[in-house]
Amino acid sequence: MAETKKFAMVVSEGSFDKAMMSMMMGNTAASMGIETHIFYTFFGLNLLKKGTKPKLPGMMRFFTGSMIKKMKGVGMEGYQEQMAMAKELGVKIYACSTSMEMMGIKKEDLVDGITVLGAAAFLDIGADSDMQLFIG
Amino acid sequence: MVIIMEKNDTLDAKGLMCPMPIVKLAKKMKEMKVGEVLELIADDVGSKEDVPAWCKRTGNELVGQKEEGGAFYFYIKKVQ
Repeated sequence: MAETKKFAMVVSEGSFDKAMMSMMMGNTAASMGIETHIFYTFFGLNLLKKGTKPKLPGMMRFFTGSMIKKMKGVGMEGYQEQMAMAKELGVKIYACSTSMEMMGIKKEDLVDGITVLGAAAFLDIGADSDMQLFIG
Repeated sequence: MVIIMEKNDTLDAKGLMCPMPIVKLAKKMKEMKVGEVLELIADDVGSKEDVPAWCKRTGNELVGQKEEGGAFYFYIKKVQ
């Protein structure tokens, strides 16, 4: 077996495409036995709110429903299901403390199982990673 | 690689697009015993490259592979 790799991802946007992309990448990595860490900052933080339903950006938002339908048609799970899958697969999820303060989001507004931390703590994880991605 | 091994179980992932066949494969392999062979059937073109990459990364062995009727068949032996 190849040595265990570490993957660090930053998500700074809260639109539907970014939400799905980060979850698909994260869940695939975790399924491959790669230790996966995702840090949500700025508008990305909205993706961690309880019961959130992300929409496509701008005017495209009106087509979110038809995109979800298309995705379901090819066996893709919805965003909430992907989030649950991430948890099951052991993906580590972090919320940016500064963004929470700035956007007035409390820990209890967010789904369970999230660690709140600052940039330095996440960069420490990132520095030790084999792979880093920025989704924004 | 066309030698097809005896299989212990089958996972039908037809109609599922990337990354679902891989996510389901990883889950299924957890339930299998070491030495057992899983037959994975997928029709996502990406799986042709994805499944060998998954095997290489996780240390499981791809013992056979074939293409039939527009679907890809993979035979994966659980190593650990």
